[in-house]
Amino acid sequence: MSRTLLIARREFLAYAKTVGFWLSLLAFPFFAIVGGAVPVLMRTSEPVRQVALVEEGPSAQGLAAAVREALRLDQERRQAAQAQAEEAAARTTGMPKEAIQAAQKQGGAGGLSALRRQRVAIVDTPAALAAAQPGADQERVVRQLLDQDAPKAGRLDAVVFLNRAGAQPTARVWTRRATDDRVEDFIRDALRTAYRGQVFQAAGIDPQVVQATERFRPDVKAFSPKSASGGQVGFRDRLPAIIGLASGFLLWSLIITGASILLNSVMEEKSNKILEVLLSSASPTEILTGKVLGVAMLTLTVLCAWGGLGALALIQFLPQYAPMVGDVLLDSGMIFYFLAYAAGGYLMYAVLFAAIGAFCETPRDAQTLMGPIMMVLIIPIMVMQMALTSPDAPVVRILSWVPFFTPFLMSARAPSEPPMIEIVGTMAGMFAMALLMVWIAGRAFRAGALSDVKLSWKSFAGAVRGGGN
Amino acid sequence: MAAALTLESISKSYGDFQAVKDLSFSVPKGSICGFLGPNGAGKTSTIRMILGLQPATSGRLEILGAEDGRKVRDRIGFLPEERGLYKKMTPVEAIAFFGALKGLPSGEGRKRAKEMLEAQGLGASRNKKMKELSKGMAQKVQLIASVVHRPEFVILDEPFSGLDPMNQQGLEQMIRGLAADGATVLFSTHVMQHAERLCDKVVLLARGRKAFEGTVDEAKGRTTRFLELEGAIDPAAVQALPGVAAVESAEPNGDARVIRARLSEGGGGQEALKQAFLSGLDVRRFQLKEPTLHDAFIALTGDNPDVDQKQRPETEAAR
Repeated sequence: MSRTLLIARREFLAYAKTVGFWLSLLAFPFFAIVGGAVPVLMRTSEPVRQVALVEEGPSAQGLAAAVREALRLDQERRQAAQAQAEEAAARTTGMPKEAIQAAQKQGGAGGLSALRRQRVAIVDTPAALAAAQPGADQERVVRQLLDQDAPKAGRLDAVVFLNRAGAQPTARVWTRRATDDRVEDFIRDALRTAYRGQVFQAAGIDPQVVQATERFRPDVKAFSPKSASGGQVGFRDRLPAIIGLASGFLLWSLIITGASILLNSVMEEKSNKILEVLLSSASPTEILTGKVLGVAMLTLTVLCAWGGLGALALIQFLPQYAPMVGDVLLDSGMIFYFLAYAAGGYLMYAVLFAAIGAFCETPRDAQTLMGPIMMVLIIPIMVMQMALTSPDAPVVRILSWVPFFTPFLMSARAPSEPPMIEIVGTMAGMFAMALLMVWIAGRAFRAGALSDVKLSWKSFAGAVRGGGN
Repeated sequence: MAAALTLESISKSYGDFQAVKDLSFSVPKGSICGFLGPNGAGKTSTIRMILGLQPATSGRLEILGAEDGRKVRDRIGFLPEERGLYKKMTPVEAIAFFGALKGLPSGEGRKRAKEMLEAQGLGASRNKKMKELSKGMAQKVQLIASVVHRPEFVILDEPFSGLDPMNQQGLEQMIRGLAADGATVLFSTHVMQHAERLCDKVVLLARGRKAFEGTVDEAKGRTTRFLELEGAIDPAAVQALPGVAAVESAEPNGDARVIRARLSEGGGGQEALKQAFLSGLDVRRFQLKEPTLHDAFIALTGDNPDVDQKQRPETEAAR
């Protein structure tokens, strides 16, 4: 086996044999699932507040009924929102609505059913509360009902005293938790609706007309000459852009992770004084190539693992999307763009980070150069999101020509089919820069590996000029 | 005897700083050669040039018939001054890996690693992680890693530094063993005692220049014997004795002094000692001493090998 491959194999095994590597490999999909599930879980697990209403005297008459009516309307609105979301999902996926509802029941689209869920339930006013005299007696009963230690069966989350100041409804809301304002918000909305109905009625407008106009949701459809159907825009048309953006982020994450592994590995060898031994056994080029190759294999392992897990999850939970994703990746050539940009981008950053590592023994030493580099690397992250909606915006197009940003921005832009000159030009620029970086980093690596010089822009530039001579 | 290594007028500069100046010497095949000098004398720079890790500014060298070490990498074993191995590897894995880099098949490397570790008393530690070994054990492992491929030429940069006396003795045995097996050994050190015990030949280096090249005895022959006197004696009185070239030191010892005087060339010291007794000096103890390699180094270079000569500019690599 050649020296390069020996070094590559050692580099790969040094990480691949550790438990930490596999844990961190699984951490990303795990946190992606957790990240997606948490909001749904939060929506579905939010408790329903048990609320009792008390009308304070004859002037408040009708307000409890108005609040109940507001609750019923709210329920109607939620059902309509869910139905609308189901229709949108059926339209974009091409699945029958029933299939989506079935999937929801299995938990596949739990977010839609969570739309329907109400946050407040109005219960009958407890007899003790109804019988209590206004004032101190009533307050004592309320405190008992809201007490944390009260039996769960009779315990309330909130008691609302409804009244009128002149013609305008008012309320005092007692809640079990001082920080919980869900009931307060609901009552405020309910009383506003009640008051609006009252005002409209006084003005001679039928409340049913008001409700009907509120329920109205205009049906707006998007069309584009570039859509797959030739007209109406569906989910299939938006999928490439989503995959492009995801590819850009994935590339950024993989390249920076791989390059950082290389930086740390070289730093460790420098601080452990292994680099000099290696240099007596292999040329700087063989060492650098071996290390870059070893970490590339590691990065590829991560990519394959994530890709495999993603594909499995897609086939298992959303099989109807799998052919679409396959089409986008293979037919539109996304996978080839992705691999080309991954190769160029990784090479550029990996050799640069390895060369920096050759000057450093601790991460603190590397900070001088790594700080500014990482700040610059934030730019493509910000611009990538813009590339999703405006892939032809001047700032996106110009920054795509910066070789260090090309892999990320062009991956994100690829689905929007940018002009061929931009694809070829930026890719050529990226690979030219990658070759230049290999040359620069090779010289800096050779000089840094045998030097005790502290890393600075000046010493790095000097090393490149001198090439370790 | 044919030379395994020849340097001809080699110089190395880092910007304005000249680390090695017009250095020429040769190392015969199968010999143990000590490359001696204080820290900063230019030993490591010279070794790096021999290995081809750094180019010479001028001059030429030849090692095992090649113009620098890069061409005959697999025939050379190298132990650098500052040592380290992969902490998570076991000694067997580390030795086999470095052997493989030198072209030794992996299986053979592992087999030899086990044998050599056993021979060095490290058999029980062969499957431990490197980070679990003591410094002395780790240094032995690294030395084994540098010679597992049975190199023809072994370069050891300050191999004794950081080792306790027991391990230093073990290392001396290993070096003798390498030479006995036919390897040529060049080792650098600033501790003269090791060179005195081991070397067939020494090259003394001071401030980047060669001060001497020859055998240990030839080096010692370049200086004179010493007369050591102990008593309540005035150093000036010793300086006045016949055959005394110079008083090298006068160390207080209770109410007395220990005076070390270098004798004149060819002087045996008997005349000086006789005159000391005759002139009534308070001589409580006397000793005539043969010069050591350390003494020879001082006499030949005017420098003390224990004093650092490091003065390389901080930005050497950036130049």
